[in-house]
Amino acid sequence: MFDANARVGHSGVHGELALEAPDFISELDRFGIQQALVSHFAAEEYDAEEGNQALARDIPEFPGRLTPAWSALPDSNSIRLLAAHRPAAVRLFFGVHKHNFSFEPWCAGELFEYLQANLILTLVARDDVEWNSLASVLENFPRLPVLLLEPGYRADRYLFPLLERYSNLYFDSSTYVAHRQLEAFVERWGADRLVFGSRLPLYSPGAALAVLATARIPEPARLAIAGGTLRKLLSRTIQ
Amino acid sequence: MKSPIPIFDCHGHLGIHPDFPAYKYRPEEMIEVMDLLNIEVLAITSTLACYNDCPRGNTEVAEVLKRYPQRFRGYITVNPNPPGEALAELERWAGFHAPPLIKLHPELHKYPLDGPHYRPVWDYANQTRAIVLVHTWDSDLNCGPLQLGPMAREFTQARILLGHAGVTWRGYQQAMQVAETAPNTFLDISGSQSHRTVIELAVSRLGAERILFGSDMPYLEASVSLGRVLTSRISDQDKELILRENFRALLDEK
Repeated sequence: MFDANARVGHSGVHGELALEAPDFISELDRFGIQQALVSHFAAEEYDAEEGNQALARDIPEFPGRLTPAWSALPDSNSIRLLAAHRPAAVRLFFGVHKHNFSFEPWCAGELFEYLQANLILTLVARDDVEWNSLASVLENFPRLPVLLLEPGYRADRYLFPLLERYSNLYFDSSTYVAHRQLEAFVERWGADRLVFGSRLPLYSPGAALAVLATARIPEPARLAIAGGTLRKLLSRTIQ
Repeated sequence: MKSPIPIFDCHGHLGIHPDFPAYKYRPEEMIEVMDLLNIEVLAITSTLACYNDCPRGNTEVAEVLKRYPQRFRGYITVNPNPPGEALAELERWAGFHAPPLIKLHPELHKYPLDGPHYRPVWDYANQTRAIVLVHTWDSDLNCGPLQLGPMAREFTQARILLGHAGVTWRGYQQAMQVAETAPNTFLDISGSQSHRTVIELAVSRLGAERILFGSDMPYLEASVSLGRVLTSRISDQDKELILRENFRALLDEK
C-alpha cells in the first residue's frame, strides 16, 4: 500500500489528531501501509520552507517509508529551493487562510512551468481550488500531472468531464465514499486515474482501506489503486 | 473484508439523491452489498421523503418492507411543514414497526428540530417509545447536536439517534456532550468523515452501549463504517454491541 494523502507533524488546527513522524509510522504499520506521500503541517499552516525543512529532518529517519511532497510558493526563490530538493511531488496550499495565492496561470504560471518541465506530481486539495481554476491549469499545462486530493463524494458531475478532457488529472480515494462509488468508477473509467489516500492523521485509514478491499473490481485494478499508479507517477519525475 | 457477525444497521436510505449520481441503489443491489459485508438488517428512510415528498416516499418504503421483510426495517420520514402533516404520516404508517421508527431531517426540511412544528412528533415519539433518527451536523442552526439535549431531556421515553453523530470532529464532541447528559440518546456513526480515534473516544466517554452502526447506504459506502469499527482499538465485545446488539435491542428484536 502507498498512501497518496497524508500529513505529518504538529498541527495548530488539528491538535489531538496530528502525529509526529514516529507515531505516524506506527499508525502506517498498524494498517499495513508500507509507504506514504507526506507533506508537513508546518508548511500548510505556517511557512512552506519551514515545513520542507521539517520534512527533510523527519524523512531520513524512516528510510523507504515516507516520500516527501514539498511545499512551494509562486515565486522564483521558492522554485530555486524546489530545484535544490529535486522533489518527485509537491503539495500546494492555495487557500486564502493558507498560502493565499491563485491557482490560475497568471499567478502561479512560472511555478507550473517548472513543475511541468520536470513532470513533478502536483497535489492540491479540492477545498483550496475552484473547479474552473483547476480546469484552467490542466488546459494550460497538459503535461503537468495533477493529483486532486479530497474531491469529495459529491464531485462526479465535475470530476468526470475533467477526467474526460484532461488526461493529466488524477484524484485520491480518501473522500470518494459514496455507496459503491469506487467500484462504479473503475467499471467506467478503469483504475489508472484513482489512487489510494487515507487522509492520515485526521482520518482513520480503516475507512479508505475497507472501501478498496470490498470493491468488486479486478485484482490488477485494486493493486493499481493501492499503489501501482502512484509509484508510476512518481517514477516519471525528471531528476 | 466482511463483518464477523451479522450487522443491524440503523441508518439506510431508499432512492437516489439530487446532488450526485447514485450507484447500485435498487433494493436488490443493496441486498447484494449487504450480503457482501454481512449486514443482516438495514433500517431505511426514503430519500424522496427527506428531500421532497414524505407521503410518496413513505409509500415506497412500505413496498420494500413488503417485499423484503427480513432484510429491511422502515423509518417513517416526516416533514414539519405544513404543520399537521407529520402526525398524519405517523398514523398512516404505524404498521412499519413497533416501536415506531421515525426519521427527521431538519437540515433538508429547513426547520429547527426544536421548533414548534416538530412538537407533535416529539410527543408521539414519547408516547410510543419511538426510535427517532435525527440528521445532525456540527453546529447547524436546524440540527446541531446540542439542540437535541433539551429535547432528549424533555421527551425521555423517545430513543433518539444522533444521525452521523454531528459528522465532523467538533460535531462528535457536541454529540458526546449531549449523550453524557441524556441517557436516551445514541450516536449513529454513519457519515462522510472518518476521524481517527473518535470511536475509541466515544466508547470511553459513553460506553459502547450508546454507539450504533450506521452506514447511510446507498448514499454513503457501508464499508467505511465497517472499516472504522473493525480497526478501532476497542474490545471485540464492544464491537459486537456496536455492530449488532445495540440497535437490535432498541428495536425490541433481541
